[in-house]
Amino acid sequence: MPKFMYIFRGGAFVTPGLSPTEMQAHLAKWQAWAGALTKQGRSSGGHPLHNGGKTIRGQDRVVTDGPYAESKDLVTGSLVLEAASLDEATELALGCPVFEMGGSLEVRPVAATDDEAAGGPR
Amino acid sequence: MDLADYRSVEDFFRRESGHLVAALTRVFGPSNLTLVEDVVQDALMAAMQAWRFEPPRDPKAWLLQTAKNRAIDVLRRERRLVSLPAGLDADVELAGTVASALSPTEETASQLAMMFSICDDGLGQETHVTLILRWLCGLSPHEIAGAFLVATQTIDRRLHRGRARLAELRRLRDVDDADEMRTREPSVHQALYLLFSEGYHGSDPTHPLRPALCTDAIRLAELLLAGRATDHVQAHALAALFCFNAARLPARLDDAGVFLPLSDQDRTRWDRSLIDRGVIHLAQASTGERLGRWHLEAGIACEHAIAPSVKETNWDRIVDHYDQLLLLNPSPVLALNRALAVAELRGLEAGRAALVALANDEKLAGYPFFWAARADIERRAHRPAEARPLYERAVSLSRSRAEREAYQRRLDRLGV
Repeated sequence: MPKFMYIFRGGAFVTPGLSPTEMQAHLAKWQAWAGALTKQGRSSGGHPLHNGGKTIRGQDRVVTDGPYAESKDLVTGSLVLEAASLDEATELALGCPVFEMGGSLEVRPVAATDDEAAGGPR
Repeated sequence: MDLADYRSVEDFFRRESGHLVAALTRVFGPSNLTLVEDVVQDALMAAMQAWRFEPPRDPKAWLLQTAKNRAIDVLRRERRLVSLPAGLDADVELAGTVASALSPTEETASQLAMMFSICDDGLGQETHVTLILRWLCGLSPHEIAGAFLVATQTIDRRLHRGRARLAELRRLRDVDDADEMRTREPSVHQALYLLFSEGYHGSDPTHPLRPALCTDAIRLAELLLAGRATDHVQAHALAALFCFNAARLPARLDDAGVFLPLSDQDRTRWDRSLIDRGVIHLAQASTGERLGRWHLEAGIACEHAIAPSVKETNWDRIVDHYDQLLLLNPSPVLALNRALAVAELRGLEAGRAALVALANDEKLAGYPFFWAARADIERRAHRPAEARPLYERAVSLSRSRAEREAYQRRLDRLGV
């Protein structure tokens, strides 16, 4: 089956002032959503990212602290899953809790290199 | 929510927030509470971020490690900017101090130190409860405002006063110092009592019951029992009172969310494990010589909790306990409850006379339960015409739908 990558941006993870109860309730929604994808055998878990880090740019390899994106555009994690088509992968993404606090999600086909998937996603 | 299992993971973030704030305040010092709150918020945010695809094997260990690392980073960064308690200047000491403050053996002591520091004479009772909810129960200012039905700015002002008062302390109260503990203990008990009451008959019209606040009050009362210098006899009595009353929470509202009077409550829905826990606390509270307010209130709650029905309740003992309570602490609400117990023990006319005697009390006049109680007596004495205006008054004074509909329902059934 073709693979797709979800790239999560912004959302609760860049929202200041959440209460512990709100954080725990939000976490539970993520675990339910991501857990369902794992249970269906579509994914083997995602990659949560911390907000800090380094950025390296240009010919001169200039290293700076932190990603520069505005908080709503900050990449906060990714997840690779199997789906029949881009449409199905998009459909599965609609239930993601990232949207609840102003976040966004990008669905990208993973470019396959094996023969079966040659020619890109259908 | 399962009340018996108050350690349920459902409030894991909230409880750990309370634990971490208290533990780190001991290291950072009370004047750096804002810095502590930032560290705790960061650690919880990191947990929400990191655990969303898969929780760690040991969430608590993960969270403590994260909080420890952040605390050390912040202390290193802020060392020149803020005044930190002495002994935090060398790196080795710094890491060791943070680690030992977060060790399991210090968990209770930190929270007790925080609770006794918060309940300071220079702050009012409402502020004590607000600060406990914020720093020991992990509620946001917005959530506290919701529980008390006041503006968030009011809560912010109380938090500000609390921060300023705490900042005057060089360090949190010493939980092993018996003198320090004993002078503040009545304020701590009173604050926990208010916290419990807010959960038991809260001021929020849409959520008349807030079991989580009752659960917090039980947890914090039981925390007092882990202290070396706290009064265990009084703490057991307080915990017993909370357990008996919390046991009845599942039956206080019917399926339509309307308050049920004691006589209509389904006693099989009362939480047996909490009643048992209350009985154990009360037995351990009975080792002292002083029969205080909490003993008497717990004794009354116990009689209700263990009785098979209203009729088979030990009203004799309940009236006796109310008499003793009124000697200790004359209060119109206590007198009202005593009058109701008198009606059960000595008959409706005796109860009616006791209630009518309270009619001039200003506080009771604005209290819907007083008018409903008088109406109940008239109704049971087959005087519906007398009951009607009293129920109508109760309905008009009601503060929530749960209350209003309970009285309206009885009014509708009068049939006159």
